[in-house]
Parts: sequence; C-alpha cells; structure tokens
Amino acid sequence: MNRSQLIEELRRIVGPAGVVADPVALMTYDADGCVMDTGEPQVVVLPASAEQVSGVVRLASRYGVPIVPRGAGTGLSGGATPIGGGIVVSTARMDRVLEIDARNGRALCQPGVINWELSQAVRPYGYQFAPDPSSQKACTVGGNIANNAGGPHCLKYGTTASHVLGVQMVLPDGSIIWTGDGNPAPVGYDLTGVITGSEGTIGLVTAAWLKLTRLPEAVRVVLALFPDIAGASASVSQVIASGFLPAALEIMDRLAIKAVNDMYRLGLPEQAGAALLIEVDGVDDGLDELLADMTTVCWRNGALDVRPARTPAEQNQVWAARKNAFGAMGRLAPTYYLVDTVVPRTRLPYTMEQVGRISQEHRLPIANVFHAGDGNLHPIILFDRRDRSQNQRALEAATAVMHVSIEQGGVISGEHGIGVEKQDYMTLLFSTEDLAAMAGLHQSFDPYDLFNPGKVFPKGRGCGELAALRRAGVAWSELKSR
Amino acid sequence: MLPASLTRQLAAIVGPDALSEETAPFAVHGRAPALVITPATVEDLARAVAACHAARVPLVPWGGGTRQRWGRPVAAETFVVLRTTGLRSILLHEPDDLTISVEAGMTFAALNAALAAHNQMLPLDPPRPEQSTVGGLLASGADGPRRLAYGTSRDLLIGIRVVEATGRISKAGGMVVKNVSGFDMMKLYLGSLGTLAIIVSANFKLIPRPRAAASLSCFFAQPERAFRLITALSASQLTPAAVEYREDGAAASIEARIEGLPAAVERHVRDVRRMAEEAGAGAVSLAAEGFAEVERRWAGFNDAPQTVDLAADELVARLSCLPGALEAALGDARALAAREGLALRVQARALGGVAYLRLRGGDEALRAWHAAMLARWPHLVVIGAQPALAAELPVWGAALANLDLMRRIKQEFDPENLLNPGRYVV
Ligand SMILES: Cc1cc2nc3c(=O)[nH]c(=O)nc-3n(C[C@H](O)[C@H](O)[C@H](O)COP(=O)(O)OP(=O)(O)OC[C@H]3O[C@@H](n4cnc5c(N)ncnc54)[C@H](O)[C@@H]3O)c2cc1C
Ligand SMILES: Cc1cc2nc3c(=O)[nH]c(=O)nc-3n(C[C@H](O)[C@H](O)[C@H](O)COP(=O)(O)OP(=O)(O)OC[C@H]3O[C@@H](n4cnc5c(N)ncnc54)[C@H](O)[C@@H]3O)c2cc1C
Repeated sequence: MNRSQLIEELRRIVGPAGVVADPVALMTYDADGCVMDTGEPQVVVLPASAEQVSGVVRLASRYGVPIVPRGAGTGLSGGATPIGGGIVVSTARMDRVLEIDARNGRALCQPGVINWELSQAVRPYGYQFAPDPSSQKACTVGGNIANNAGGPHCLKYGTTASHVLGVQMVLPDGSIIWTGDGNPAPVGYDLTGVITGSEGTIGLVTAAWLKLTRLPEAVRVVLALFPDIAGASASVSQVIASGFLPAALEIMDRLAIKAVNDMYRLGLPEQAGAALLIEVDGVDDGLDELLADMTTVCWRNGALDVRPARTPAEQNQVWAARKNAFGAMGRLAPTYYLVDTVVPRTRLPYTMEQVGRISQEHRLPIANVFHAGDGNLHPIILFDRRDRSQNQRALEAATAVMHVSIEQGGVISGEHGIGVEKQDYMTLLFSTEDLAAMAGLHQSFDPYDLFNPGKVFPKGRGCGELAALRRAGVAWSELKSR
Repeated sequence: MLPASLTRQLAAIVGPDALSEETAPFAVHGRAPALVITPATVEDLARAVAACHAARVPLVPWGGGTRQRWGRPVAAETFVVLRTTGLRSILLHEPDDLTISVEAGMTFAALNAALAAHNQMLPLDPPRPEQSTVGGLLASGADGPRRLAYGTSRDLLIGIRVVEATGRISKAGGMVVKNVSGFDMMKLYLGSLGTLAIIVSANFKLIPRPRAAASLSCFFAQPERAFRLITALSASQLTPAAVEYREDGAAASIEARIEGLPAAVERHVRDVRRMAEEAGAGAVSLAAEGFAEVERRWAGFNDAPQTVDLAADELVARLSCLPGALEAALGDARALAAREGLALRVQARALGGVAYLRLRGGDEALRAWHAAMLARWPHLVVIGAQPALAAELPVWGAALANLDLMRRIKQEFDPENLLNPGRYVV
C-alpha cells in the first residue's frame, strides 16, 4: 500500500485537519502511559463522527492496515500503542456529552469525553459517573469502556461494566451498531458486556449511554496512619471480613506518603509507614456509627493516628493527594513501572510482605498506592531506565509480583488490562481452552484481526490460530498438548 | 428416536442410574425429551456433551425447571435433557473474602442457607428458591427486586466455568472482585439461555447481611398517586434495597424494602412514610422488621412472576422500558387489558423499569392484548403461556437488534446448533 495515497483518502473522509502525518507529531502517538513498548503509527486520524470512523475503518479494511483505537493514551498496558504500526484512530475530537437524561439516570456521550468532565456535567442534576480512575482528569470514557476501568469508588459502586447501558460501535466491516439504549432488561446476547473490557480489539466505540449514580447525601473521610503497611492491609482485610461496605478503602505506603506529603501539605508524620484512606457514604444517619466501627478495627491493628477530613476542602485535599500519587513518583525516581494485580483480600497482608521481599531481592525501591478494598495492588517499581541492569531487574521484579499474586489465587490485571504488557502472562492464568473460547468471541466480531492486532492474546498464540484450532474441532485434551 | 448406540454410550458415561427414560416431567412446551441424564461430575457432564455432539443430538440444559416455559419450543425432533442437579456442592467459600464458588445445580435456597450461617447473602431473589438453581438463574439472566441496591447477577458474578458444545471445559474470571484479565466471557454466557455453553460452576462476590431491615407497605387508591411516590423516591438521595409497585384490579401499592445500618433504616422508614403520605397514600404500615421477617415477607413478592404454576388461561409477560416510561407503559397495559376484558396483575421494579404482568382470559383476548401492547412497547417478552399460544407469539418481543452478530457468535460457539436449538433469539 502507498502511504501517501492512504493519507489522501483519509483526508477526504475526515478533512485535512483530522489527519496527522507529520513524523514529529506522530511520535506523540507511539505509546500510551506504558512506556515499555513503543511503535510508530503510519498515520493518525481524528474523526468527528461515527460515520467518519466507519469510512476510516472501511478504508483500513480494504488496504489491510490495522486500526489502533486511542482515547487519551493514559492506558498503562500498552493498549493504545501501535505496536505493529497502522492507523491510530484518536477520539479526541468526539468529546461532547450529547444528552443528560436525568429522569432516567443516564447520559449519552461521545467516546472522547473526559471522565471527570462527565461527572462535572451531571453534578448539577444530583448525579455522578461512579467509575473514577485516578487518571480521571485525563482519561476518556471510551478508554474506560475499552479497559473496564476501575477506581477507588468501584469498591462500592462496581467497575465501568456496571455503568454502561449500551454502546454505539463501528465494527471491522464498517457497520455501525447500537447495543442498547438503557433498557433495563434487553433480550439477546449481552454485547455491551463483552465489548466492555475488550481493549479496542473488536471495534471502536463511537458513543455510549452511561448510567449515572445519585450523589450520596453525606460523605465521611478519614485517614488512618500506621507504622507499617502490615497494619494497614490487615485492617482492610478485617473491615471487609466484618461485613462493612465502605465507599473506598485506599492505601499509600511510606514511599508514596513521602512523595505526596509535601506536595499536598498533608502534614503527615515521618513515622507513618502507611496511610489508609477510608470513605463511607450514603444517607447521613448511621455513617458516624459505621466509621467508628471501622476506626476501631484500625486502632486494633496498631494505628498511630486516625484523622478525619471534616470539610469538603479537606476531603478534596486528601483525595487529590491519593489520585496524584503516581504523578508524584517522579520525585523519587526517573522511571517507574506500575504493576497491576489483584489478590483475594485476606491475602493482602501476605502479598504485601512478599512485595517487600521482592523489592529487597531485586535491589529496587517499590512504592505502593492501591485500591486495597478490592485487593487490587499497584506495586510501583522505581528505577532508572538508562541503566540496563535496573531495567532488567524491574521487569523481573514485576514478574515475581505476578507469580506471587497468582499463587495466592489472584489474577494478572484488575483494571489496566492486558494490552502488550501482560499478554505473555495470560498463559499463567488461562488454559489453552480458556484462551480459545476468548478467541472464538473475538473472531465473531473481528475475523480478520483488523482492530488492535497483537494485543491481549499471548505472543505466538494469536487469536486467529486459537480460533482455527477450536473450529477444527480438536478435542480439548489434544488442544492442551499442542 | 435416539440412536441406541448413543443411549448405551451415555449410560456408560453417567451410569445407568443417572439416565432415565421417564421423560414426561421434562417436557418443553409440551414435547418430551428422548432421554434425561443427570451426570454426577463435571467430567462426566463434559463427556456426555461430547458424545451427544458426536451423534449430533441436541441438548436442553435443565436446572430446577422453574423457567423452562421461557423461550420457544426446541427446534428438533429428538433431544436429551441434561440435568445439572447432580452438581450441587460448594466448591470454595471464603467468608472473610466475601466470595464463594458453587456448582451450577445447587439450588438457590441451599446456597443462601449456607451463606446465612456466615451472615452473608447473595441478594438475587429468584422465585421458587428451593427449586431454582444457580446455573438456571445465570442462564436466564436473573433480575430480582433488590437489583435496585445490589445489581443483578451481572454485577455479582466474578467467575464461571462452562462446558462448551463440543464437551470442552473452559473458564473465565476468578475469585477476586475486580478483574480485567482477558475478555469478559461471563457476560456472554449470562442470560444466553444455555445456547452457548452449559454453566457448571460460578463464583460470586457476596454481600454482608444488613444489620437492620424493614419493609413498608403503602396503599393507594389510584396508580397515579403511587407514581407520585415513585417519582419522589427517584429524585431523593434515599437508598432503599427494593421498591416494588404492585397492582391488582383497581388497587395499587408500593412495598419498600430497606436494609442497612439501624439509624439509616429508621431514617428511611420515617422519610418513605412521609413521602407516601404526601403522595396521597390511603394507608402506610410498617409491614415487617428485622432481616429474617423481611425475607419471609418478600418471598411472596419474589414468587409473584413465577411461571411454574400457570393457569390454563394465563399469560405472563415481562415488560422492560426506561424507568421514566413505566407509568405510561403500565397505563397502556391496563387500558388494553380492560378493552380485551382480561384480568391483569402487575408487579414492577418501580424505580427500574422492569414489570411482570400476569393476564388471564381467553386466547383471543390474550392475543389481541399482546399484539397491541407489543406495537407500543417493543421490549415485551412472553415468559409463560400455554404451549400453543407460546409457539405462535413473538415471545422475544419486537426489538431484536444485531441478530447477524448474535448468529455469528452462536455459530462460533455452537456450530451444529445443538444447545437449546431454536429456543432463544438465534
Ligand atoms: C496516573 C494514572 C492513574 C491511573 N489510575 C487508574 C485507575 O485508578 N483505574 C483504572 O482503571 N485505570 C487507571 N489508569 C489507567 C488508564 O487511565 C485507564 O485504563 C483509562 O481507562 C484509559 O483511558 P484512555 O482514554 O487514556 O484510553 P487509552 O489509553 O487511549 O486506550 C486504552 C485502551 O482502550 C482502547 N480504546 C480507547 N478508546 C476506545 C474507543 N473509543 N473504542 C474502542 N477502544 C478504545 C485503546 O485501543 C486501548 O486498548 C491510570 C493511568 C494513569 C496514567
Ligand atoms: C417470571 C420470572 C421472574 C423471575 N424473577 C427473578 C427474580 O426476581 N430474581 C431472580 O434472581 N431471578 C428471577 N428469575 C430468574 C429465575 O430465578 C430463574 O429462572 C431460575 O433461577 C431458573 O432456575 P432453574 O434451575 O429452574 O432453571 P431451568 O428452568 O431449569 O432453566 C432455565 C433455562 O436455563 C437453561 N439452563 C439451566 N441450567 C443451565 C446451565 N447450568 N447452563 C446453561 N443453561 C442452563 C435451561 O436450558 C433453560 O433454558 C425470574 C424468572 C422468571 C421466569
């Protein structure tokens, strides 16, 4: 295929301003937030409508050029990285909230709407969009849907999948479908459900009906400080085991506290080895009682101090520190590798201990800022990318964390997705039959691997191959041994 | 007729006792299967499925049979009913993690009893819990009154294991509450009515039993007044566990189920009572207090849409619409029922837009009602009717979108069309 011809045709579809072809400008699209892998796109397009996306997809399909959907590029697993080149389709120009239907608690959005901006837009109606990833001031709802994003409040409210009522999607053949409009009990296979979390590998979401959540009447936040992370993670596990349902339970360890303390003037004492952020919400009545019970658990686990954040301003300050903790890591090291994994909540204390061991064994500091209530860990391995040995050790440490997590009954990603970062870990968790079933679903949507090829499925075990084996009727026991 | 060789093969796999030719109780829309098998292990089940696949004989998965009126007749001359009730163990319960893994044939009542011992619950509220199974609940896409507070099975299911059409076993998800490791295959099997795979086990996240609970009954002389309360509730920041709208003849009522911290429950009882009075309720009463008592009271409400006991002149439908349209939809259902001379009973998820309608009257009137209603409300599903009527009506409603894509999925997962053929949308 001739690149200049492709560009010419793309310009005809999206207009000259919607095509990025300048080599320097293209470099900003060579990776997402996961900097381990990069790839240069042939061209970037910024369509303004589903019809334009459809035109681009038809063209790509005719030329056999891969499509890589991209929201804000804040993903941390390489999902939007054009690993094998192709056309990056950015949703940056599809950034409007089209309708707020307060009566039915839903909003119609284009995919490029920033998560935070949606929540701001629906606030005057007494609503919020519950999924609140820490990147919410930058990431898009399209990216949230593709990655089934989570956030601190997903402990109580569920991840993105529980808040998508229906999507408009452009399929690999260029057709545009709607999977639902907010009808509470639709008939047919749950296409909305399987599209959510499919990481841009089966189509491009061009609009969505999102479910809104009533703002709670009251919110209480406390910060419990512990001498070490063991007390904090034991408290989390016990709070859950005692049957409380807080809105959020988040942990920051010593290194993370150090990184945010000055920046956000939190005034946390030096001896605090871990901070546990607890939020409860609901009707005002009973919240103090609930909080008191939870802080009792904290004291029992050796808390140094329990500090309420009384005013909304104080609460915002604590949350800002938590949500920007990753950004603050830059103060500690030139590069960091943010690992994403989940363990059953009772295994948190043990797993955190192992993370400490891994840090020592690999001689790299590891900070921790994470959604503890869900058992969703984020060990942040601090290193210097220019040092090859450190690079190598960082990767090994990440793998070691993954192994511990699986051994504890955990999984390899809680919210960032598989992308290219985790694709080779897939076989640690899934059998060939499990992967072949996923491949079957994938092939029903995208038989020619047009969308985001080379992602999610393990390298050298592409979904085309898996699906073909499956179709050939190879018995499952044989499949395993191949 | 089933090939004798297959019968022999199945007997060898599941054992002669787990194979029965007494098939009348397992008729689907009036047609009995050729054979009923009840495998005792997942491996046996998988081998049995593989054997049927090799012989190209269709299968109807069967849990408690509480929902076999759902959908269309089996599109095949001969079929085998595959019961899951031999698989009924708890595989793993981690009370401190609030997670559980159970086999598909376990009844909902048995599951909830096991959870009660740990002060936990799975708030899905199926009708006939002593009979209905976890697998059947998931395959039919559960919706219960408490979906308002806790969501449906879609929000509570965290892992699944299935036997595919060829007998292959695969799984998805896990035992953690948050997971984006690979495609979400759970969503595919949920609500697919056993047409893509047979669910053999499922993992759930659990909810702690509330410390306090109450149930409030509000009676209204007219539906409009009840809907005033519904509108007020939906605009408030209250968080009831369930709000059911009930209508029988001229009388309308709202039952609000409240669960949570004692102070919060008290506050809700106070506020809902006041709001009901402001909306013009004729009477408001605290109908039950305490979790066990509330559960007992609600068992009846949960059973209201059951389709096991169906009168000879009865049709049960599920209507779903945007919550804001519920009042209008029920108004139409009522007016059309009056026009056709049908008796109508309604129970609806008042804040959610799902309504179960029970109608009684002659076939002709039922037909006319259904056609007129469907023309206005496309998401109208017939979930219970006498076989002749069910076979003739468009039971899945008039809003079937994306059938091409669904056919491709069915083709991929069950290319020979052997799992519940013809019963679901594709
Ligand atoms: C500091 C920081 C904190 C973070 N915290 C969280 C957190 O708390 N929780 C969490 O879940 N994640 C978190 N993330 C990860 C990331 O922000 C989320 O995964 C987010 O959902 C990605 O959105 P995006 O718009 O940036 O998508 P991108 O990175 O652009 O893309 C992500 C994936 O979605 C696909 N995609 C994007 N748009 C579409 C579309 N319209 N249709 C189809 N596919 C599409 C892409 O191909 C890619 O596979 C964090 C990231 C950072 C940098
Ligand atoms: C009118 C009505 C109202 C309902 N309301 C609620 C409610 O309020 N709350 C709630 O939680 N649920 C509700 N449900 C769902 C109900 O609980 C389920 O129908 C019930 O759990 C089915 O269980 P069963 O074992 O009797 O299934 P069965 O009747 O045996 O089977 C139902 C369907 O699922 C298939 N199937 C059964 N087992 C499997 C399996 N293991 N794998 C694959 N497919 C299988 C069957 O082939 C059949 O198509 C309602 C259902 C009806 C009909």
